[in-house]
Amino acid sequence: MQLTYTPEQQALTDAVERFCQEQITPERLAAWQPQPRGIDAASWQAIGELGWFGLGLPEAHGGTGLGLVEVAVLLQACARGLVPRSVINAIHGGWALAQLDPQAPELAAIARGAAVVALALDERSVSDAAAYATTAQGSGSAVRVSGEKWYVPNGVSAEHQIVAAREGNGISLLLVAADGTERTALRTFDGEEQAIVRYAGTAALRRLGAPGDAASALRGLRREATALAFAEMVGGMKAALDTTVAYVKEREQFGQKIAVFQAVQHQVADMAMGYTAARHLAWQAITRIAAGTEEGMELIYASAFVPQAFKRITFAAHHLHGGAGYVVEHPLHYHSERAQALCIRYAPEAPALATIASDLLD
Amino acid sequence: MRYDFTPEQRAWRDEVRAFIAEHLTPELLAELREAGNEGKGPLADRFILALRDRGYWGLAWPAEYGGMGRSAIDQWIFVDELESAGAPMLPLTVTSVAPTIMRIGTEAQKKQWLPRIVATEVDFAVAYSEPDAGTDMAALRTRAVLDGDEWVITGQKMWNTMAHMATHNWVAVRTEPDAPKHKGISMMIVPMDAPGVTVQPIYVWPGLRTNALFLDNVRVPRDHLIGERGMGFYYAAMALNFERLSIGSVGMIRRYVRELVAVVRELTVDGRPLREQPWVRERLARLAVDIEVARMLGLETAWELSQGSVPAAQSSMAKIFVSELAQRVGDAGSELLGLNGQLHPDEPAAHLHGRLQWLYRTAPLLAFGGGTNEVQRNIIAMLGYGLPRK
Repeated sequence: MQLTYTPEQQALTDAVERFCQEQITPERLAAWQPQPRGIDAASWQAIGELGWFGLGLPEAHGGTGLGLVEVAVLLQACARGLVPRSVINAIHGGWALAQLDPQAPELAAIARGAAVVALALDERSVSDAAAYATTAQGSGSAVRVSGEKWYVPNGVSAEHQIVAAREGNGISLLLVAADGTERTALRTFDGEEQAIVRYAGTAALRRLGAPGDAASALRGLRREATALAFAEMVGGMKAALDTTVAYVKEREQFGQKIAVFQAVQHQVADMAMGYTAARHLAWQAITRIAAGTEEGMELIYASAFVPQAFKRITFAAHHLHGGAGYVVEHPLHYHSERAQALCIRYAPEAPALATIASDLLD
Repeated sequence: MRYDFTPEQRAWRDEVRAFIAEHLTPELLAELREAGNEGKGPLADRFILALRDRGYWGLAWPAEYGGMGRSAIDQWIFVDELESAGAPMLPLTVTSVAPTIMRIGTEAQKKQWLPRIVATEVDFAVAYSEPDAGTDMAALRTRAVLDGDEWVITGQKMWNTMAHMATHNWVAVRTEPDAPKHKGISMMIVPMDAPGVTVQPIYVWPGLRTNALFLDNVRVPRDHLIGERGMGFYYAAMALNFERLSIGSVGMIRRYVRELVAVVRELTVDGRPLREQPWVRERLARLAVDIEVARMLGLETAWELSQGSVPAAQSSMAKIFVSELAQRVGDAGSELLGLNGQLHPDEPAAHLHGRLQWLYRTAPLLAFGGGTNEVQRNIIAMLGYGLPRK
């Protein structure tokens, strides 16, 4: 049992937080909103030079060669500091490609932030691979993709896509160059860049794995992505908790700080309880997935609790901030949006509860 | 970050499990169901003595007092395994009073009391609360006045559970009436057979017996004031701290949910398996998630203790969550069982021996007892996050 970061992990966290405090101010976030990736080119490049995109990529391709746990540490700090979604999604994409094809020549540019790979997995009303309508066909290196992927993060601007498709009776994963695809931007409630990507017999760059044999690789990719999302959620809820604690200590009503009111203290206590439990459920799942030592249900239990705790914390944060935290200039709403966006994409509650019920009762 | 127990911790857990497998017999479990806390029962007594003979009483005691000096994580594992199996727990004499005497008693007091505790000649009830001093314990009014070489004690204590079976009482009394209220209290040991001690039973909702304690000019030797005069409030807080690991333990509730799940898997209601009902599935899944949450909060407390810090906010979180979860488990459990869920433990047809309706009645105690959950939430806000008192 070791429930704290190593000194190296703490140093990484400190470095990211320092960058975020200096560079990612509410004013800049507002100014970045209309830009394609929600961030200006110079800041994107600065993040590339800090090595965040390459943290989990092989050293042979310009990465740092660290593992899932360190990438989770990075993303937790990024989420806390409101690093734009496009950066976080680019890190997700690079990590996935490196797992599927550690020798991929595209990784060198991705590690610098000079190229981005997007994950094109979900369809309009389909997340379960068994129900994909997108298909892959072809032999050897000549593979063509047909179909439509939705809600693709970084889908408008990314140079590459990892596409999941049905092939024969199985599932294949393919790497596709974006410029051969038709991309339509989707507007999302939190401003995250997403796209519909259409494939009309588009030639893939290559397969990632054997034809029709990628179902388990896809499951693994999704599990790791969910684990990383838990880290983002923990970072976001810590930020919402901290900003609330700071606000109630300075806000005065009825001639005193509102922090002295028990009704306020008790809500802060409940936020803290939710955060503490969520942090451990999340990190139990992350560390066990990283080490391959899962006992079975860690990811599902975290799925059932962590996003719900994040949402409850952001609602309480809004309540305790009142109007001051409701204005669009206040960054709190970014966290609140992420709470629900991450929940929907990675860990909705109902299917997690259904899986737990099956484990208990069937 | 690592959530797995070390090989040593796993070996310790296996050792505790082996002990339980050997000593927790079906006869003992039956005795515990019937006895409540009215009487400890001969088989439970034998189990507690077996724990002593294995050295487990000294689990958390320093080595110089014959203890094992085990870490807080090891203590957590021990409590969790015993509660999860439904075994009798170590008495407060062992887990709370003895370690406090070890730390704050004079050398003579340690020599006088500790060997007799280990020999089971001395068994304590604990007396902090009074009719007008509950959550505000420092308002207590029971007073002790020095008369020659004896303290003369007069007052009334409440919720003095087990006093009718104990040999001694661990009593908080006011010895310095002119000092500020937190600094005028001392801890006193009162033999139950001293003249002027009266115990009156109080029965509470789930059928448990506790007591009111009346002290009418009770005389005890001067050296029965343990540690220093005027430090009693802090000693009581220390003694309560030692209880924390078990207050926030989810072991008992986990056992009830495990047994509830086992019953639901077998039950047929309205001609179809109960486990197929969507509302049953969702409710049990939510309880299972909450149990994992409670386990994490307990582990966090144990981890902080093992690192040498005082986890005031964390142990309050565990206490709040477990006590409120106990209400949900008792509620969901007895409701899901349908009309059978209302049956008394003595009714042979009652599923789980009627324990879930017993939990339904017991759970409120867990939330207001041991420091109300409101006070716990204040502790989290103030000690954990620096929110001001005024």
